[in-house]
Amino acid sequence: MRAPVGSAQAPTPTTVHAPWSAFRETIHSVAERADASIDLTLAPGAVRRRWMPVLAAGLSIGEYARSLVRRLAFLTACLLAGIWLLAGQGYFWPAWAWLGLGVLVLVDLGAGWAWRRPPGALRRVACVWTLVVVAATILVCTWLLTYLLAQDRSFWPAWALLGLGTAGSAYSLIALHDRLLVARGRRALRARIDMLTRTRSQAVVAQAAELRRIERDLHDGAQARLVALTLQLGRAEMRVLDQPELRGLILDAQREAHLAIAELRDLARGLVPPLLADRGLVAAVESLAARYGLGTAIEADIRRGLAPAVESAAYFVIAEALTNTAKHAAAQHSWVAVSDEHGALAVKVGDDGRGGADPHGSGLAGLRARVEALDGSLRVHSAAGAGTVLEARLPCG
Amino acid sequence: MRVVIAEDLALLREGLVALLRENDIEVVAQVQDGPALLRALAGHEPDLAIVDVRLPPSYSDEGLLAAIEARRRQPALGVLVLSQYVETAYASELIGEDSAGIGYLLKERVGDVKAFIDALHSVAAGGTVIDRQVVAELLTLRDGAGEARWGLTARERDVLALMAEGRSNTAIAESLVVTPGAVEKHITNIFAKLELPACDDDHRRVLAVLAYLRVAR
Repeated sequence: MRAPVGSAQAPTPTTVHAPWSAFRETIHSVAERADASIDLTLAPGAVRRRWMPVLAAGLSIGEYARSLVRRLAFLTACLLAGIWLLAGQGYFWPAWAWLGLGVLVLVDLGAGWAWRRPPGALRRVACVWTLVVVAATILVCTWLLTYLLAQDRSFWPAWALLGLGTAGSAYSLIALHDRLLVARGRRALRARIDMLTRTRSQAVVAQAAELRRIERDLHDGAQARLVALTLQLGRAEMRVLDQPELRGLILDAQREAHLAIAELRDLARGLVPPLLADRGLVAAVESLAARYGLGTAIEADIRRGLAPAVESAAYFVIAEALTNTAKHAAAQHSWVAVSDEHGALAVKVGDDGRGGADPHGSGLAGLRARVEALDGSLRVHSAAGAGTVLEARLPCG
Repeated sequence: MRVVIAEDLALLREGLVALLRENDIEVVAQVQDGPALLRALAGHEPDLAIVDVRLPPSYSDEGLLAAIEARRRQPALGVLVLSQYVETAYASELIGEDSAGIGYLLKERVGDVKAFIDALHSVAAGGTVIDRQVVAELLTLRDGAGEARWGLTARERDVLALMAEGRSNTAIAESLVVTPGAVEKHITNIFAKLELPACDDDHRRVLAVLAYLRVAR
């Protein structure tokens, strides 16, 4: 049993006895201290509780078993070391037992770690790697022990380790292949969503700005030219008052110009209502409410400049709601509330009329499209006989 | 009559100036924005200011605000505001407390030279001229989304709208190609239907109608 050891490490009688007497003294002092503390402060069984976990401490059977195994392994390792010491040392055989116990603990820890992975391929791969690590540990430690205790210098586990590593990697690759692909697909998808969100909001903002620019161009361009045209026709007419035929032609031309001006005006109004462009949402809504003569109560709490796109959407929501109230609701009261709420413009329009509005009607569907283009939401509450409330939320990014 | 014109579009400004000169109206200054208008008015003390609603630098209601400010400084000044669209809210603000010497017309009305020149004289003399479009809009609204609550006929609506532009019975008759007698009959009917006291004076007639339509506060 005695292993060949170098002369430098050969134990002398003093070194044999010194550790043992120290150990005995430690045991004695621990025992004394333990007794003293049992007597003085701890309830009976406190020491046992510390070393032996109990089910009552809120542990599951599995956790209880695992902690018991770990502690038993530790105690066994100590016991074997003690026996070796008492048996007069020599070849350090407990190392092999320690290896066995260590593998037990390692399996326990590895299994616990693997089990905490999400179920599926990732957990299976973790289990495989736990086995690989356990096997590799057994191999390497066995080699280490033979190297240290038996002086075997060849690193014989190399091929086995290579095999284990290759097998583990191959298994991981196969098991996680789909997952890696999906992750890449998902990343690409997310990037695409980000891009679409960004470009859509840019498009909406650009569209609102473009509409205002077109309205301005119409005003300063075509509309102004047509007005100048009627002005010149008017001047021409004054010069041919005595030529009825010519005057008739001029008046016809003027009528056409007037029709063109009226059409352009309606077009421009549909793009951006002038009051909205000039004075903003609140003034435009007040004018709208006055126009319907519904006695609409208006409450506005807006603390910042609104983007043209948001402003227009809010305006058209309110306009559509008030038009519906005036046309269909037969309401006594009508109200509009516009407020800043957590980074969004909250618009509510309500009446106490007959309700029963069709939330999928063409008018509301058009509004919904307009609101959703801004990542907003539109809700309609319109139970029969309970009035109608239109709620829109428009993020102000 | 001496006039200051505030209009930023050269095409229209020059056309207007030519039109006024042909009709023996002196244009003492032409400006392109609100502050310049106020300076010109203080310098020239004209009888009338013709102002475009939309002026630089803001291109919103700069002209309207300048016109209101000009009236505050010189209450006797006649102000005719021109616009490519009419807003009843703007009409109401412009008229404010005192509607004497106020005009609010669509730009294309310059095409009807005679009526336009009449309107200029009327406003400079302290009359009130409101575009028929404002009246038409107010009538539709007050009527409750197009329902003929007051039972005005289409012809009566036309007459009412022309009345608001400050036109005389003769001018209305000419415009609608009817006899002055027929116009008088329509007017009597309108005043009866709107329950307004009848009156002959053109300016007071406009006011009565506008007050009824609640344009004037």
